[in-house]
Amino acid sequence: MRTPLRALVIRYAFVILACAVVIYPLLWMITMAFKPFPEWTTGTGMTWFPKQPTLQNFEFVIFGHAQGLVVSLDRGIVGPLAASLITSICGTALAVVTGTLSSYAVARFGIMSLLPLSVLQLRLFPPLAVMIPVMVMWAFIGAVDTWWGLSLIYGIVTLPFAFWLMKTFFDEVPVEIEDAARVSGCSYWRVFYRITLPIVKPGLATCALFVFILNWSDYLLALLLTQKNWVTLPIYMSTLTSPMGGQMYGMKAALGLIAAIPPVVFGLLIQKHLVRGLTFGALKQ
Amino acid sequence: MTDATAETITDTPAEPASAKANRRSRGYWAGVAHDSRKLGFWFVAPAVLLLLFIVVFPLAMQLYLSLTWWTPLDGVRWYRAYESFNSGDNYARLLTDGALWAALGRTVLLMAIAVPAQFLLGLGLAYLFMEQFVGRKFFYSILLTPMMIVPAVVGLIFFLLFQGTGPVNDTLRLPTSFAWLTDVHRAMLAVIIADTWQWTPLMFLILLAGMLGVPADQLTAGRLLGASNWQNFCKIVLPRMKSVIAIALVLRSVECFKIFDVIFVMTKGGPGVETETISLFLYKKTFADLDWSYVAAIGLTILFSLSLIAARGLSYAAKRKG
Repeated sequence: MRTPLRALVIRYAFVILACAVVIYPLLWMITMAFKPFPEWTTGTGMTWFPKQPTLQNFEFVIFGHAQGLVVSLDRGIVGPLAASLITSICGTALAVVTGTLSSYAVARFGIMSLLPLSVLQLRLFPPLAVMIPVMVMWAFIGAVDTWWGLSLIYGIVTLPFAFWLMKTFFDEVPVEIEDAARVSGCSYWRVFYRITLPIVKPGLATCALFVFILNWSDYLLALLLTQKNWVTLPIYMSTLTSPMGGQMYGMKAALGLIAAIPPVVFGLLIQKHLVRGLTFGALKQ
Repeated sequence: MTDATAETITDTPAEPASAKANRRSRGYWAGVAHDSRKLGFWFVAPAVLLLLFIVVFPLAMQLYLSLTWWTPLDGVRWYRAYESFNSGDNYARLLTDGALWAALGRTVLLMAIAVPAQFLLGLGLAYLFMEQFVGRKFFYSILLTPMMIVPAVVGLIFFLLFQGTGPVNDTLRLPTSFAWLTDVHRAMLAVIIADTWQWTPLMFLILLAGMLGVPADQLTAGRLLGASNWQNFCKIVLPRMKSVIAIALVLRSVECFKIFDVIFVMTKGGPGVETETISLFLYKKTFADLDWSYVAAIGLTILFSLSLIAARGLSYAAKRKG
């Protein structure tokens, strides 16, 4: 079907406008990360692109101090970055392993038919409404401000996503393949481990990346359950202020950029499955 | 153990007898792999344990604490909170707490503006992307980026954008004294803009998936019968997307109700309490006032109300489907 030229022009105009709206805020943060202090505000005239591009902001957040800057931090990005990575990865592992096993059992063995809806309930409530007992519990078992305490809660809150995502992948595997393996003498465990799991391997990878993005993006849980040693990147970013007063825009932008890169890269990698993940498998692309 | 009865229940087709004998000699674990119910039990056990761990005990504790005056400042361990039992005063208090209801009102206002705005923008964008065109994939990827960015970073980005000396005022040719985040009327608008920027892509993604699910031959048939694109869209596409639209709206409403990160980084609920949604309110009660038993009471009330709404919604959806 031929599209008339006028419709084509209108379409491109709107699409490009939308992309501009998307890029405008991003561009400001990205260029801000490369701007030296005098260009942070429009006091000296507006600059979209740094007149004197500098890596000073990155140097500052990585080492805690930078050449030519009077202020310094008591610690750089390394600790929070490691904390973010370790807790996100452990939380993801916990969610994906428990989610995969349980969703397989529900999808194939038909047990615990209540499980799908009960895990979904975990995502319904504002976390702050249910965090008081969790904070008390975490303090009681000594899990506050530890890597495993944060990983544990990450694993639990992302379990619903892992569960539903893996369930849709298992539902797509034809039961006939598994039946064939059963008939030729494989045990249930062997069928799962040797037949089904290899088939859903791409799904498993998608699920892991998706859950990792969610854990990496967390702000609230880390805010409530860490104090100093295991503060994650987003918390570190938002608490960054100079002792001399004032907001450190450039450094914050540099941190924001670093924090934003992994999820965007992973997100684009699993683009095809984003709908499925975010709607708990209700929709496919 | 009555191994014989267990064997009759399991269906293990074409299994050699020698394997069975072998298994029996090796005890419980050797049998698990061959018994779908035993294996299923071990498969769901970790997930169920995690669920019980985060649901049963915390809920009981929340109910318990909500009936007392306990705060972590008391110097009394939580399990001795009964010493300050107050026979439900927290619940009486939340009914007449103006600040709480105001926060709830602001949350609803935010939802009432942001969700429809995101829906309409997402629907329009999805309409543009229904057909193939050059660069479609590229533009699509760009449009999806906002929702992959860490919400706290989105808060930071819009915090930077809406500074008096920031680019928004410059682009709109406004003076640098034109405040956004510290102005009582515009702070909420800024938050809505930030949320819309981040989550319109999700609406777009879901609605586009729904639109592409409409069979192409129906659209062709409509066109052959003389329907314009617009008529096709209204009469064929939209009615077929009802459930997709419902999913998108429910999902976004739930998430919008929970909103915290963006506002916390952008305005901390300020100026005053102008952008204080329910989550921000609870946060302040938890950390500024350390009023933990009261927060527990509010939390339980929210939990109960949302569960009721969800249950009604589910039964309604089931009725519509059936």
